[in-house]
Amino acid sequence: MRPNRLSAFARFAALAAAILLALPTSPARAQKELVLWHAYRGEEKAALEEVVARYNAENASKGIKVTTLAVPYDAFADRITAAVPRGKGPDLFIYAQDRLGGWIEAGNTIDPIDFYLDPPTKDRFLKTTLDAMTYQGNVYGLPLNFKVITMIYNKKLVSKPPTTTTELVAAAKRLTAAKAGRFGLAYSYSDFYYHAILMNAFGGGVFDAQRKPTLNSPANVRSFQLLMKWLDTDRILPAEPSTALITSLFNEGKAAIVFSGPWFLGEVSKTVDYGLAPLPSVVEAGGAPMRPWMTVEGVYIAAPSKNKDAAYDFAKFLTDLPAAKTLALRGRQTPSNLKVYDDAQVKADPTLQAFRKQVEVAIPMPNLAEMTLVWSPATTAMNVIVKKAATVPAALNEAQSKVAAGIARLRGGK
Amino acid sequence: MQKARPVSHRRRILAGLAIAALVGAALIQAGLVASRAAERRATAERLGIVRAQALAQTLDRAGTTGDAAREVVRLWSASDPSIRSIRVIAFSGIMLEASTASGDAGGRAAPRRLEREEKPLYDQGQRLRAAHETNVQEGADRKAEIEIADRTDGALEVAAPLEASGEITGMAAVTAARPPTPGPAPVPLDALLGVALPIALFYAAGRLLGERRRALFVTAVLLVSASLGWLGFRAAGSLADARRDSETAVDAATQAELARAASVLGDPALAAALAAAPPAPIAPADVDVNVYRRPYGGGAPGSAEALARLGRDVGEIRRAVRRVTAGILAIALLLLAFIGLGGAARSVATLRRHRVAYTYVLPAMIGMLVLVFFPFIYGVALSFTDATLFNTDKSIPEIWIGLKNYGEILGDFAIVKHTAGGTVVNYLNFYWTFFNTVLWTVLNVTIGVTVGLFLALILNTRGLRLRPVYRVLLILPWATPNYITALIWRGMFHQQFGVVNQVIQIFGGHPLAWFDRWATSFATALATNGWLSFPFMMVVSLGALQSIPSDLYEASRMDGASRWQQFRSITLPSLQPALIPAIILSVIWTFNMFNIIYLVTMGDPGSSTEILITQSYKYAFERYRYGYAAAYSTVIFMILLVYGYWQNRVTRATEGIA
Repeated sequence: MRPNRLSAFARFAALAAAILLALPTSPARAQKELVLWHAYRGEEKAALEEVVARYNAENASKGIKVTTLAVPYDAFADRITAAVPRGKGPDLFIYAQDRLGGWIEAGNTIDPIDFYLDPPTKDRFLKTTLDAMTYQGNVYGLPLNFKVITMIYNKKLVSKPPTTTTELVAAAKRLTAAKAGRFGLAYSYSDFYYHAILMNAFGGGVFDAQRKPTLNSPANVRSFQLLMKWLDTDRILPAEPSTALITSLFNEGKAAIVFSGPWFLGEVSKTVDYGLAPLPSVVEAGGAPMRPWMTVEGVYIAAPSKNKDAAYDFAKFLTDLPAAKTLALRGRQTPSNLKVYDDAQVKADPTLQAFRKQVEVAIPMPNLAEMTLVWSPATTAMNVIVKKAATVPAALNEAQSKVAAGIARLRGGK
Repeated sequence: MQKARPVSHRRRILAGLAIAALVGAALIQAGLVASRAAERRATAERLGIVRAQALAQTLDRAGTTGDAAREVVRLWSASDPSIRSIRVIAFSGIMLEASTASGDAGGRAAPRRLEREEKPLYDQGQRLRAAHETNVQEGADRKAEIEIADRTDGALEVAAPLEASGEITGMAAVTAARPPTPGPAPVPLDALLGVALPIALFYAAGRLLGERRRALFVTAVLLVSASLGWLGFRAAGSLADARRDSETAVDAATQAELARAASVLGDPALAAALAAAPPAPIAPADVDVNVYRRPYGGGAPGSAEALARLGRDVGEIRRAVRRVTAGILAIALLLLAFIGLGGAARSVATLRRHRVAYTYVLPAMIGMLVLVFFPFIYGVALSFTDATLFNTDKSIPEIWIGLKNYGEILGDFAIVKHTAGGTVVNYLNFYWTFFNTVLWTVLNVTIGVTVGLFLALILNTRGLRLRPVYRVLLILPWATPNYITALIWRGMFHQQFGVVNQVIQIFGGHPLAWFDRWATSFATALATNGWLSFPFMMVVSLGALQSIPSDLYEASRMDGASRWQQFRSITLPSLQPALIPAIILSVIWTFNMFNIIYLVTMGDPGSSTEILITQSYKYAFERYRYGYAAAYSTVIFMILLVYGYWQNRVTRATEGIA
């Protein structure tokens, strides 16, 4: 037994030594590998991979290779938060701007790119999409795609999409039969994100330029009063409008007009003939257009990355015209690169053009870390208002004081 | 059997004293060395800031860009031999405006655009600008406006922002040799004396006292206390001296830098740049600042104000040293007692006797330590801090706030608020959430046990057909992942389209907005969890029911007992040993049943149906108050600990019965 075991050990040791000795002699990899994390699936993922393959083919001679990793969306932000600052993350990643402020405040996650950003690259994008990538005066990423809410209508029920709220209410009233479960207009009005459409139309918002919360501003109050008029006086909206409910109403032809974004289109049944049009202007706000919040998916360079120059080069490629065309046509996304909408094929696509038109008036959703403190009080205020448990100013004052207190505690430190 | 040699108390206590004095003195010495190093570091940084700020202020006055800036940098660098390099950048055009770095000569000489590998320099400047704007907007000192970094060659690089007409437009980075540090640390004579003297004295006293254990121990305690106390006193003195020296050095440097600034600004080469307006004088408070560019607030060097501040600092140092010494003394005395009174000897003996057992347990112990105890202790430590998203880069002692979080959680008794509109419950109050959690737990367990037991009794009917089918069907709710069940139930309670309201309407009722009122919202969660929890109780009861011997029932039937009497006197007592542990378990599960509340009611309306665990989650991940949330979780732990203790006693009682 004993000699046997010894010889087994000796063999193992010899093997280990051989491996150790062999390691340095294996050919050193001259390739620079860039790792990109994203949360795309389906055709969006296929389009991204197509662009990446093209980039790799073009840059094979330079020894640069980009590999992509699709991370499930639910886990994405947390994985970035946990992995990147410890140097275990990718070189680049794609995510919406809403977490940007939190990552910058946490530090060592995203590097600013003003240094690289030259005017021609800047001019590719709509200025507001670049604003979404800007935090405290520095640009932190290149805007890849944007998502905005627009008006989606059932062509059978609505022949000519309304362009003002007066037309909207008139059409919606005609099409509403609450008893039969039919509604002229359906959207997630009790979701703060959707309500921003009206809030921004009145010139309201969540933060002022000094990053102070402004939830109870007069403009916001008026936007809620308009919503309450639709809900109470005009009675054109369903109760408890969950996204599932709105989808099923629209698919059954029981909702004529829906305010929603590109994510909604994938849910629309094949039998519904729908059209897209810009959100109507708000007569009550002096004819100002409804202005949705835009979500911008940016390409960010991870702060601990060892190949930042190459990473920026790739990010530039990803937001350039040919890549944008692939993303738009193959991935059905709406790129932030505006030049792509002049392309003949993209021009012929009514959906892409509709979002392109809508984004003109969109406002970037705040990317401040403090924004997460807003959602809960704002949602509470929305519920209270919609259910008429308090007046609009009272509910908004309450939300404002809660947000202000939360921010003071967050920033306060010792 | 050989009789054990009687232990010598004198020798044992002497060993304890020697180790205690050694450990104590070593800790104090280590603390002293570390503190002196920290003081030296702080002084070096302050001197670096004075130097960089003096240059930055001069540039602000003479011009942050162009020839004037280059002239200032040239004059400045020529007049201070300790400076290795100065680099001045401007954001506009991403320019290197001036540089005395050795690489920036010839073709790379300033002014030129920064190159790609110099991106970190530009980013640093932008960071300082953003920090300044953040601090102004928040009205607080949160982000450093001056950055200090060690260079690999031992120099210190200090970067300060440059201002033009009230806005930060660039940055000056000054690299200079550190001030000379005193030679190698002297032999710690104090510490050696602090160890040797008590040992010698105890040895002498031991001869007098013999083997009188108590007297020996008291002597040892006195000697160790005296020795460590004296060492602490000496350390405080040494640190106070270092603090005073540092202040003197900074004062001298401030004067020297101001003089340099005046001479540079007065240089004829700059006359053209300054011809239009004579620059405002630079004050000591402009250059002797902290990293937030705020003056230290001590007035002019040598003034009464400055002396008072120094006095306060020294007092602070003495108090801190006293606290640390007391802590070290406590550790030393514990060691002394442990070794001197024989605890150590007994522990070693046990370890040696059960060597094999301890070896087997070791891997599990290490696993527990890393996976359970470390996160737990970290969580508890976090609960004493004010950790939020915005200060994740700070260490725990920096954000230590003691028991403030606990005070805020437990000390807030404002559960109801009286307003003009009537009485309002503050749903964020801890006691409301606690009440809600207890109610939630009690009702759920009651429902689970009642329904489960009832169904088990039915299933246990003798001769029941298709019993396995029923059993599988009834266990299904348990087998479905509970978040799916939760989402289905939430859908069923939808106001317009939920099946519950549709049934109500069929019977002519009015649809209810379930999530609008506390009571109805709570009921939806209760229904969902009831649905999820009865199968477990049913399975447990069914198993126990089947193990009751049937002759018990037969015998009781002989005696003429009714069905109810059988249930009371046979079934229930026989079920007890199985049911009580199940109930105890289910209480803990339900107390921390995160999914149901989080998914079904989402805390609606207005956080009123939140239970403790979901509330603490919301504090951490929606309000980003990590410290507060940690304190919340610790309170939950304490509650469950008390419950666990009580349950232990109950279990022991039931074991007695069974």
